[in-house]
Amino acid sequence: MDITAGTLALTLIWGVAIGCIYVLLATGLNVIFGVMKLVNFAHGQFLMIGAYLTWTISVSLGLNAYLAILVSMVIVAALGVVIERFTFRRVLGTEKLNEIFISLGLIYIFENAALLIWGDQAQQIKSPFYGMSLQLPSISITYDRIVAVGVVIAVLVGFGLLLWKTKIGLAMRATSQINRTAMLMGINVEQVYMITFALGSALAAVAGGLYGIIFSFDSQVGAMPTIIAFAIIILGGLGSIRGAIIGGLLYGITEQLATLFLGGIWSSAVAFALLIIVLIIRPNGIFGEKGE
Amino acid sequence: MPLQQKILAFLRSKGFLLLVACFAILAVIPIVITDTFFLYVFTLIFIFSIYAASWNFLANSGQGSLGHAAFLGIGGFASAIIGTRIANALIQMWGGYAVPIGALSVAIQVSVILIGGLISAGIGLLIGLACVRLKAWYLAMVTFGFSVIAFTLSSQFDSITNGINGFDPSTLVPGGYPFYILVIVFAVASIGTMYLIMKTRIGFAFKAIHGNESEARMIGINTAKYKLMAFVISTFFAGMAGGLYVYFIRFVDNSIFSPANSFLPLIMTVIGGLGTVSGPIIGALFLTSVTQILTIPSVTQSLSSALGPIFPKVSYAGPPLTYLIIGVVLLLIVIFSPQGLAALFHKFYNYLMSEEKPKKAKTK
Repeated sequence: MDITAGTLALTLIWGVAIGCIYVLLATGLNVIFGVMKLVNFAHGQFLMIGAYLTWTISVSLGLNAYLAILVSMVIVAALGVVIERFTFRRVLGTEKLNEIFISLGLIYIFENAALLIWGDQAQQIKSPFYGMSLQLPSISITYDRIVAVGVVIAVLVGFGLLLWKTKIGLAMRATSQINRTAMLMGINVEQVYMITFALGSALAAVAGGLYGIIFSFDSQVGAMPTIIAFAIIILGGLGSIRGAIIGGLLYGITEQLATLFLGGIWSSAVAFALLIIVLIIRPNGIFGEKGE
Repeated sequence: MPLQQKILAFLRSKGFLLLVACFAILAVIPIVITDTFFLYVFTLIFIFSIYAASWNFLANSGQGSLGHAAFLGIGGFASAIIGTRIANALIQMWGGYAVPIGALSVAIQVSVILIGGLISAGIGLLIGLACVRLKAWYLAMVTFGFSVIAFTLSSQFDSITNGINGFDPSTLVPGGYPFYILVIVFAVASIGTMYLIMKTRIGFAFKAIHGNESEARMIGINTAKYKLMAFVISTFFAGMAGGLYVYFIRFVDNSIFSPANSFLPLIMTVIGGLGTVSGPIIGALFLTSVTQILTIPSVTQSLSSALGPIFPKVSYAGPPLTYLIIGVVLLLIVIFSPQGLAALFHKFYNYLMSEEKPKKAKTK
């Protein structure tokens, strides 16, 4: 196989574009973990629902795909509120195994509901830039990937502003430090949990919309991205958003390079091998705190 | 030896009689109800009971695995590969004649399944060494990762495993009733053994670790050692279940490592009753019969004609609808009855008994 500078550059750019989607997913998962100390293994299913909703809205209403993402974001956030209120809140503070069981139940519900509603054929969202690409000497990049990177940056900046400049952001950060003290300071912790979960789910929905524009997807699409997002936040540090961004980009690039040099079958196994090695050396993640 | 005494005491106890009675009833049922489908489903239920019980055994020590399919598959592949080689060697020895069915082939079958379990336990020991320090989500993720890696490796070393296309292991014990008897012997022995271990000091150590690991360490329990022990024992039985499964369905390929197979024992155990003996069996009974009933042709036909207009996007809405309902049941059980169906039955039984008591008193 001859690897020219062109293919290498293209691989890196693809890695960044895919990495951006992982960054959004990992940030959502990480914020939920940081504030609620909860890992929602069904997080990738929000990505899948987000992709399908974007597809449905853009097809049935003829809306611009990127505007449809906004609508699906709101719907998935509302879904997140319902899920948090009626499932995770019921087991919060009990055994950690219960969260895994709840997530698994949600995975079964979401995947099969999506299969029943949208069918088993793979879909792809058609954006206004469908089939168009930027021609540079020796490489061409689809506009959708460039727009995806822009959307992710915009969403992350918006999210950062919310987290660092608003009162609710302050409440979230306070709750993430010590929830009881936050409660004592007059913060409605349950409300903060609800908002956090909704925000995390909304980020996953945006990731889903972008994913659906770049790749084709079906009802099973959510499983692997969840695991990748989890690997990223373990590598980048649980609760650290900066870590999630760096980890996500690094992961996207590594995955694309692994596919280029080793072949597609190894991409997920390599990801897990990396995750397992890191966890054997540091059972709480690279930047994880010691103990509970 | 306290263990020997415990076993002797058990052999004299009512529990043992109950076990023998269960075994006898289970062995007789298929003679009374001579339906091949019924026999098929029941054999499957007992294979999955072993598998779910092995998952439950690990959960008893506070460790939740999301990758038990790795061990089901390793046990299945190991016993199928070794068993097929032995069978082929014997066929050559007999000069082209098939191995006569009898004591020898039963002995080979049993030992091949045990070897599958041992190999699975050996790999379980290595993986367990990596896992004993991990907790909750980390453990879940890493065990899940091992099942993905097992899938990749079984495809990559296809020349040894034949994992991509799959293969049919040579028959040693004929299917149907003889294999059913083999399965219930294994099921009673495995579930009984796991139950007995939980009654020894080892079992109490598991419970202590599950309750609070730091406290367990404080009172002098070597938590790493016991967690590793739970891992090895659990993977041994999971591997054995894999061997039985592969020889029962007469096929093995790399799809045995699928996430669905990893989630199966978890869902069975949680629905049935986490941490109980009957839980995994009830869960296996519930889940296997529900999913198998869906494959009956008449059920398939009537369901697809009934559900077709409601869900026009899928050709047969039965399985996805069932799995959706299973997901809902799982949520309801985790939220409202964490002890599973076993506890619900128990409550219901107690309720019935409390209603009955005054009547009994009168008749006396």
